[in-house]
Amino acid sequence: MKVHRQRRRIQIAFLVLFFVLLTLTVWPLGRVFLGAFLVADPLIALNSIVGGVVRREMLLAGLVLVLPLFLGRVFCGYVCPFGTLVELLGPRRERRLGDRSAWVRKAPLFVLMGCVGLLAFGSGLFLVFDPLTLLTRSAALLVYPAVDRIARLLGDLAYLAPPARGPVDVVTGLLSGRVIFARPLAFQLQALALLMVAAVLAASWAERRLWCRHLCPLGALLGVVSRWSLFGRRIDADVCIRCGRCGQVCPLGAVREDGVATDVTRCQLGLECADVCPTGAITFGRRTRTEGTATYDPTRRGLLSAGALAVVGGFSVYGFQTGRRRDVYLVRPPGAGAESALLGLCSRCGQCMKVCPTNVLQPSLRSGWEGMFTPEMSFVHGYCDYSCNECGKVCPTGAIQALTLEAKRTTVIGRAYIDRNRCIPWADFKDCIVCQELCPTPKKAIVLQEESVVDPKGATVSLKRPWVLADLCIGCGICEANCPVSFEAAVRVRGVQA
Amino acid sequence: MDDRGHPDGAANHPRGSGDTDSMDRRRFLRLVGAGALVAGVSPWATGCGRLLDWSAGRQTASRRQMAAGPATTGTTSTVIATEGGASSTTTAGATGAPRPDLVVVQGSDPAENVRRAVELLGGMDTFVTRGAKVVLKPNVLTGRAPEYAVTTNPIVMAALTRLCLEAGAASVTALDRPTSAARPAFSESGIAQAVQDAGGTVKYLTDRNFEEIEIPEGRVLRSWPLVTDIFEADCFINVPIAKTHGLGGLTMAMKNLMGIMGGSRGIIHVGFSQKIVDLSTLVRPHLVVLDATRILTANGPTGGDLNDVKQLDTIVAGVSPVSVDAYGSTLFDRRPTDLEYLVKAQEQGLGEIDLGKLTIVREQA
Repeated sequence: MKVHRQRRRIQIAFLVLFFVLLTLTVWPLGRVFLGAFLVADPLIALNSIVGGVVRREMLLAGLVLVLPLFLGRVFCGYVCPFGTLVELLGPRRERRLGDRSAWVRKAPLFVLMGCVGLLAFGSGLFLVFDPLTLLTRSAALLVYPAVDRIARLLGDLAYLAPPARGPVDVVTGLLSGRVIFARPLAFQLQALALLMVAAVLAASWAERRLWCRHLCPLGALLGVVSRWSLFGRRIDADVCIRCGRCGQVCPLGAVREDGVATDVTRCQLGLECADVCPTGAITFGRRTRTEGTATYDPTRRGLLSAGALAVVGGFSVYGFQTGRRRDVYLVRPPGAGAESALLGLCSRCGQCMKVCPTNVLQPSLRSGWEGMFTPEMSFVHGYCDYSCNECGKVCPTGAIQALTLEAKRTTVIGRAYIDRNRCIPWADFKDCIVCQELCPTPKKAIVLQEESVVDPKGATVSLKRPWVLADLCIGCGICEANCPVSFEAAVRVRGVQA
Repeated sequence: MDDRGHPDGAANHPRGSGDTDSMDRRRFLRLVGAGALVAGVSPWATGCGRLLDWSAGRQTASRRQMAAGPATTGTTSTVIATEGGASSTTTAGATGAPRPDLVVVQGSDPAENVRRAVELLGGMDTFVTRGAKVVLKPNVLTGRAPEYAVTTNPIVMAALTRLCLEAGAASVTALDRPTSAARPAFSESGIAQAVQDAGGTVKYLTDRNFEEIEIPEGRVLRSWPLVTDIFEADCFINVPIAKTHGLGGLTMAMKNLMGIMGGSRGIIHVGFSQKIVDLSTLVRPHLVVLDATRILTANGPTGGDLNDVKQLDTIVAGVSPVSVDAYGSTLFDRRPTDLEYLVKAQEQGLGEIDLGKLTIVREQA
């Protein structure tokens, strides 16, 4: 059985699958189970369970969590699409941090305890560093907007040649609303998203797959379970000549310095070691409890300091929120519950932003550090489409509940207020009906009242002036998104108590 | 992939230490590549790529004209006054066949209504020649099911597509610029399916389908980005639905042309009456088919309440959007003169709105 020889192919297949599913995550959604990778993430599932959301699909995450009991961190070596990218884009040869290696070996424990701290304090912030959310978010915020722009440019260039126009229109028609959008996709916080993913990828040059070895919280979690793995790498100490070549090829640095011990919390069963072993001392098989295992066993001091870190981490988040007044323009998507529930549940994966057809869902700027990359509605970018309820459907955590279209259409997320100092009929004494025209509720939440008024020059003019009816407005923001007043809309949506 | 030609040939395995130099170069190249990727992605992603906004930057207005069409379109500005009986006729077509100014067909089958209406106007052959490129402009404001009377009836669209193809059209394209995402809007309205099943295509517009076009006779609107397809078409058919709009306003054929306008939708609506009249001086459809199968009597143009929908089972057709709209206003128990843009259009000689002066053929199917 030489499955490990196919490792790269299997990895690439999962990476391709990941991007195919994510690319298909557009309105209107098909029946494909699109969020599969995120749903299979045990970290996200654990966080959701702590937040009180239990779903049938979490069995998949349970499976991924139990898998290391048999096959160690095989998920990291064969499945994780982000691990694949880290590996493909990183150096191929061993690099080590040198002497600091021993210290950095303890890192996963601290990473995990940090997560536990945030989890215990009801914050999903640690999921920002989950490899699958990191990849989904980076793709949604960086890759797809770039693809949109590049496809547009290529189309524009081809359009210069008149014979190409027909075919370009056909291709554009196929991609329209799927890859190319009416207005090019644009996101807030792109720089931060880019910085994060670039830093993680670049870390591989300090130590090969440094992220996967020491920092990845999902890897750390799976590593803990791997301690009891039934199967793994076996070394026949009698045959081994201590040449050390296995240690040089192991992508995760799971071979300990003596050459015969395995760090099972890191071994991803790539078995490169077996392939280079000149004496054939390394095989894959049933592990015995005592033989050749070297995990980092935390000392009491290590545990205490990690626990302290968890408490400090949790409290710091608590501190972020205490005394902070909610930004009045912070509007959450329909189906998001109370603010604290959203901050606790949201995995910051950005899948809702990927599926949103109008680009209104943006990584949040208005909810502080803890809310970083959670979804907010930015009516500068778009509006909440009256016929769309996809964000709730793709949310892997229940932070945005899946609503039926009927329910979504009556879910109040905010309320529009007209700024009469700037609104054209109020301030400029000219007719403008855009907000009323586009208001999508069956009984319009913005009505026009015909008034006869005296303008500043003393002339009597008849005007249609807009009013917002509070009991009908759902806060979709199509009025704000289309208001013709320059630079800042004269009708703006503010958040309401959920 | 960069392991090709390496002695041990195995993709996942490290090299020996003998070839450090060439490996370093490769690693350097990979670093440069990754750097270039990051540097390349970030400006595109953050919107600094001026080059990519190049298509939106074409500003100089060009002159375009509608195709002449097989029938004279001059009737729009030279309506011959008659005494208003349904039996009187005017000569309008180039063939000399009598053509009424307006036809109004009522019946339970919208497709049959369309067929009969076009027949009464002289048949589709008088509008569409063999091999013609036809563009249909329905009202697809946003995605709503047909029964809400927000978008043009898909059966009407399908019937028109078939008539054009039967008359020998080479292609029939339906296009609009919805206020929401185009593909879901076209599919929820049923128009995408209907047109495609009938043999036509739906075109989802992007920026590059718009071009800044001069409006020589425009009083307020001197130029605006417009869909170029309608100028390249041999036959342009305006297929609006009759709906209320704003306070006391109605949207029918003339206002439907806003869907061929690019740019900021908001700005068009400030003082929009004169602007749509200006647009009508340039964009003169060869045929106008007003869908009044169901009309929206309140909370338009977006609707959403079935109580506001009234079933009339009526098609109004003609070659002048001004006259069609004038008749359309009566469906809502209004007078043509209630609508500012119709009064202005009449003043500018774009069409007759005095129904008494038009030849109208009514038929009960």
